[in-house]
Amino acid sequence: MTTNFHIRGGKLLSGKSIISENTDLWIIDGKITFQSPSKTKRDLALHEISAHNKFVLPGLVDMRCHIGSTAAENIRMISRSAARGGYTTLLAMPDFTVMADDPGAVSLIRDSASKHSDVKIYATGCITENAEGKRLAPLGSLKEAGIVGVTDCPNSPQNCEIFAKGIEYAKMFDLPVIELPRENSLSKDGAAHDGSVALKMGLKPFPRAAEEIFVQRAITLSKHINASIHLTSLSSRGSVELVRIAKQNEVRISADVTPHHLLLTEESILGYDTNAKTSPPLRQEEDRIALIEGLRDGTIDAICSSHQPIPNHEKNIEFDLSPAGVLGLSTALSSVYKALSNYCDEKETLSVITGTMSTAPSNIMGLGKGGIEEGKKADLTIYDPQKNWIYTPSEDCSEIINSPFEGKTITGRVETTFANGKLIHTI
Amino acid sequence: MEMKSWSRKSLLGLEDMNREEIICLLDKAKEFQKVLSQKGSVLDLLKGKRIINLFMEPSTRTRVAFEVAAKTLSADIISIAESSSSLTKGETLRDTALNIQALGADAIVIRHSSPGSALFLSKTIDVPIINAGDGAHEHPSQALLDIFTLRENLGALDGKKITILGDILFSRVARSNLWGLKKLGASVTFAGPSTLVPEGFEKLGAKVTHNLHRALENADAVMLLRIQHERQSSSHFPSLSEYTKIFGLSSNQEKILANKTLILHPGPINRGVEIDSTLADCSRSLILEQVSNGVAVRMAILYLCCTSFDKK
Repeated sequence: MTTNFHIRGGKLLSGKSIISENTDLWIIDGKITFQSPSKTKRDLALHEISAHNKFVLPGLVDMRCHIGSTAAENIRMISRSAARGGYTTLLAMPDFTVMADDPGAVSLIRDSASKHSDVKIYATGCITENAEGKRLAPLGSLKEAGIVGVTDCPNSPQNCEIFAKGIEYAKMFDLPVIELPRENSLSKDGAAHDGSVALKMGLKPFPRAAEEIFVQRAITLSKHINASIHLTSLSSRGSVELVRIAKQNEVRISADVTPHHLLLTEESILGYDTNAKTSPPLRQEEDRIALIEGLRDGTIDAICSSHQPIPNHEKNIEFDLSPAGVLGLSTALSSVYKALSNYCDEKETLSVITGTMSTAPSNIMGLGKGGIEEGKKADLTIYDPQKNWIYTPSEDCSEIINSPFEGKTITGRVETTFANGKLIHTI
Repeated sequence: MEMKSWSRKSLLGLEDMNREEIICLLDKAKEFQKVLSQKGSVLDLLKGKRIINLFMEPSTRTRVAFEVAAKTLSADIISIAESSSSLTKGETLRDTALNIQALGADAIVIRHSSPGSALFLSKTIDVPIINAGDGAHEHPSQALLDIFTLRENLGALDGKKITILGDILFSRVARSNLWGLKKLGASVTFAGPSTLVPEGFEKLGAKVTHNLHRALENADAVMLLRIQHERQSSSHFPSLSEYTKIFGLSSNQEKILANKTLILHPGPINRGVEIDSTLADCSRSLILEQVSNGVAVRMAILYLCCTSFDKK
C-alpha cells in the first residue's frame, strides 16, 4: 500500500475557531505537510483522498475506555473500533483481565497493545490494590512500568483518607488522578437514574446526589492538597455546576462526559434495554442540556468514550443483573456532533470537538498528542457529517453488540483514520 | 365476544394494557367464577396444554392459584421452585427458559426478583409468558384480582377513591394496581412513610400522602401492603413497632373509615404490623374473597393468553 497521500479540499480548524475551507494537505512518509511536494515525490504513488465538505480533524484522544482482556484478538478488535471512530489514542482504565495494580499487569497490556493495536493505547494503574479502596497500590513502580495516570475506575475509593493519601502520593510522581465520582452507600445496586422511569420500572436508583457528593469531595481534596484531579463521566447538572464554581475559584479540577450522556436520557432504558445501561446512568433532559452547556463554556474539558465491550451472553440478561457499560469508540464522534449541532454553529461544533476530543485529553494526561501540524506524524481523521450509515458492531465481533445505537442509522461517519502516519481505517 | 378485545399472547403488566382489554379479562373471569362456584366442576378448555410455573421467589397464594386455575381448565401444570431448579447451579434464566420451552411448555408463568424479567423471557422464547411478579415492577394477576374484587363490591370504579397503604416503593402490586385502577377511572392514593412512598409517584399519576388520617378519610377502599422487610435496608424506617404506631391500621384508625369502606390485602398478612388482627377478619375485609377470586382471574389469564397464541 502506498504511504503517501494527498487529502484534498477538507475543512480544517486552524487556530481556536477559524475554519479553513478547501484546505489541501499531504502525508508524505507518514508526516503531515501543507506544502505541495515536488514533482519527483509526486511520482511516488500519491493516493488522492477527497475531503470536500468533510472535516479533517486531529486524531481523537480518549479519556476512558475499558479494554477488558489483553488477548491479541480483543486488542485488535478495540483497535478496529477506535479506528472506525477516528480515535488514534486511547487511555485504558486499569480493569484488564487482571487489575493493573502491579507492574506485571501494566507490562502485559503495554506489550499486547504495542503488538496488536494500530492505535496508541496508554495504560492507567489502580490507586488502590485491586481497586478495592483499602490499601494504596505501588504507584511508583506502576509509573516505572509505564502508566500515565492513576484511577480505580470503574470503582471509586469510598474511604476519604485512602483517596486523599492516593492523591498526595500520586502527585509526587506527577501522575494525573482520574476519579469516577460515585458514593456507593447512596447508589447501592443502583441501575438507573432515580426519576420516574426507574420508579415505574422498579429499578434501584443511582441518584444525582451519589455523584455530586463525590464531585464535591474531589474539589475539596484538590484544593487542600493542591493537586489536580480529573473527574470522569459527569452525568448530573449539579456536578457541572460544582465544577464550574470550582474552576472559577481556580481549583485544579478537570472533567469529562460521555457521548451517550450528551445525546440520550433515562427514557432509553425503557423496555429494560441493557444496551443503554451505563455507569453513571443516563439521566434527564435538564442534565443533558447542562452537560452540553458545560462543554461549550469549558466547564467540562473533555469527552470520554467509556467504551466497554461486553459479550451478549453477559449483557443481555435481566436488567438489574446486567453489568453497566456500552460501546462508545465507533459512534462517539457522530454522537457528539449530533448533540452539539442542535446548539452550536458549525464553527463552534468543530472547535468544541477538536478541543474536547483531542487537545484537552492529551493535555490533561500529558500525552503530547492532538493538533495537525507541519512535520508531525499523521494522527488524523476525516469525518463526513452528512453521511448516513448503519452501525453494526457485530461486524467486528458477533458476540459484542452492547451499544444503544446498535442497528440504528447514524448521520455522520468517520471515513478515514491515520494513526502514527499509517492509514488504519478507510471505508 | 371476548376475543375482539383480546389479542395478547403474554401478560406482562397492566401499564401497557387498555381499559377494554382489562374489562374483557375481568368479564371472562366472571364467567369462570360461576363455574368455580359449582364445586368440583372442571372445564376442558386447555386440555393437553402444558403450563410451567417457574417461581424463582417464594410464593404460596399466587403459585397455588395458578395451579388450581390450570387444573380447573384441564391443563397440565408443573411447578418449579428456585431451590429445585438449575438456576442454583449457575444456569442463566435465559437458558432455563429455553430448556423449559424445549421440554414442550405451552406457556410459562414466571416469578422472578429482577424487574423486567418477564418481558425479557417474552423476547427470548416463543410461548406465552405470564408475569407472576417481577421484582418491584408489576404483578398483573394480583392487581387484576384486586380490581375484580373491588368491582364485585363497589360496582364500576369510575370516580372511586382507592388508597394503597404501606410499602409502595418495593411493591409491584401497588404499581400494577395504579395502572389498572387509573384505566378504570378510579383515583389512587399511595400512603405511607416518606421513605417508602416517594413524591415521584405523583408523576406516575398517584396522589401521595404521608398522613394516615388523610389517606383513610374519604377512601372507598383501603388496600394494605405488607412491609417487605426482606427487601429493605434498615434505613427506610426505624422499626416495625414504630411503623405500626404511625401507619398501622388499628381499631382506633378504623373509626376514620366511612361505614362502607372496604379493606383489602394481597397477603401475606403480618397481623399486628400493618393491620390489627381483628380487622383482618372483620366484615369490611375482603382478604379471603380476594384469594378465591384469584383463581377465576388466573383462569381467565391462562385461557385468553393460551388460546390467542393458538390462533396465531
